[in-house]
Amino acid sequence: MLHLFDQINEAVDVIRQHWKGQAKVGIILGTGLGSLVKQIDVEATIDYKDIPHFPTSTATSHAGRLVCGKLNGLSVMAMEGRMHMYEGYPLQAITLPVRVFKAMGCDLLVVSNACGGLNPYYKEGDIMLIDDQINLMGDNPLIGINDDRLGPRFPDMSEPYTQDLIERALRIARRDDIIAHRGVFVAVAGPNLETRAEYRFLRMIGADVVGMSTVPEVIVAVHSGMRVIGFSIITDICFPDALKPANVAEIIRIANEAEPKLTQLVIGVLADEK
Amino acid sequence: MIDFLDQIETASSYIKERWDRPPRVGIVLGTGSGQIADSLQIDLKIDYGSIPFFPRSTAIGHQGELVCGSFSGQAVLAMQGRFHLYEGYPYEQVTLPIHVMAKLGIQRLMVSNAAGGVNPRFRKGEIMLIESHLDFMWKTAPSLFAPDMTHGTGRGQRCADSSIDPPLIRLAEEVARKGNFVLHRGVYAGVLGPNYETRAEYRMLRNLGADAVGMSTLPELAVACKYGIDVLACSIITNEANPDELEPTTGEEVVEVAEVAAGNLLEIFREGMNASHATQ
Repeated sequence: MLHLFDQINEAVDVIRQHWKGQAKVGIILGTGLGSLVKQIDVEATIDYKDIPHFPTSTATSHAGRLVCGKLNGLSVMAMEGRMHMYEGYPLQAITLPVRVFKAMGCDLLVVSNACGGLNPYYKEGDIMLIDDQINLMGDNPLIGINDDRLGPRFPDMSEPYTQDLIERALRIARRDDIIAHRGVFVAVAGPNLETRAEYRFLRMIGADVVGMSTVPEVIVAVHSGMRVIGFSIITDICFPDALKPANVAEIIRIANEAEPKLTQLVIGVLADEK
Repeated sequence: MIDFLDQIETASSYIKERWDRPPRVGIVLGTGSGQIADSLQIDLKIDYGSIPFFPRSTAIGHQGELVCGSFSGQAVLAMQGRFHLYEGYPYEQVTLPIHVMAKLGIQRLMVSNAAGGVNPRFRKGEIMLIESHLDFMWKTAPSLFAPDMTHGTGRGQRCADSSIDPPLIRLAEEVARKGNFVLHRGVYAGVLGPNYETRAEYRMLRNLGADAVGMSTLPELAVACKYGIDVLACSIITNEANPDELEPTTGEEVVEVAEVAAGNLLEIFREGMNASHATQ
């Protein structure tokens, strides 16, 4: 991990050439948060390919640029398009943008993803505040010699997602009549969706939803000492005994429908950050 | 594979040239085994950095020396400081010292580690004998499948935990009764790390049958098994992972608690040495 420090600085130098703002919040616009970018008063847009050491995204429905500006007056940096382990990127490359957020001054990370619902009380289109996570990706972005300038060797994970922020989001959800759950996200490497047996297994070990992202970024955010809030949109329901084949077009449609609600929640949570 | 066999050969010869006693027992001194290190009669200490192909230990609370000497009157090789997968070393490098100790003739391996207590009855500072394990480290060891690794002495395809020696477990339990300290028996879940577990992960491990969780030892056990070396493995419970009232854990705290259990661990390992005397 000793190479990261220089990579971060090189990326920050280039971003600073485009944008002089003082970032407070870093946002990873996963599936379902794409339209949040329309709410940002954009001050700079930088393609990933122009930022040193940033990997470029290949996934369906993900663009690839960093958007810097103001969201309701709050300085934010937003990643439009994220990288996934299943695309073949090393986890340290996937999570480099989070370290760059931190180096630019962000102390809060906002993440979102599309996921499969395992908890039988969840419905398609519902939102879940990520309360906790299980890493079943079989890898970890902190493998290697630790760089103490970036964080501790053994980060504590007793509260990866900031409980105060979860409470705040749930209050806004109740106020605005949005269905929002609180549950456990399990991350797998993918890219195939799970078998029925795997869905039973994941439910049994305590997961409420399953996805292929987010966990590496959150581990690195915790390592960096950032607060984290994470949102999952349940885009398909995975009942092992009545499993229907997944339909990517349908998943994207449901994510798009949930987008306004998620955007509303994120803006509400960030309103108290000023 | 040829390269790795050469590495084992070269490292073994390097040690043999400097220390020519035949060790019957190898010890891996994990977090909190400082007292055992102090009880060794040292003939020679070799810095890992000077042994060909040995990586350097980068973990908190771990030094990096191979101690050649005597413990309880017998020749012993002790690793003061071990290697972990989370340090980024490949499986071969992590286990190279065990391969080398096997090459130098050890027939018993005694291992200690620091672990989080997943079993709600476990308390900080208590010791658990590893009776079996769950492997959540996600790494395979190509070298374990090479037929020529064991020079014809290995036990082949036995599963790794069966190298845990039942008579040694009973012996250790006797030591605990006589010494009047708590000693558990249980299942060790090995994870990759390096972050500590989330509450959800602790619940998962508990549901799957783990009693303690840590980031080491399994690669060492796997290699020991391949060579047919009997193993005594002890986990010092350094934090109580109660998922419903989880408190933050730091690496420094873990090292501190582990030192408290060091005296009891010393007694167990000392007896383990004597047992090996008796079976010669």
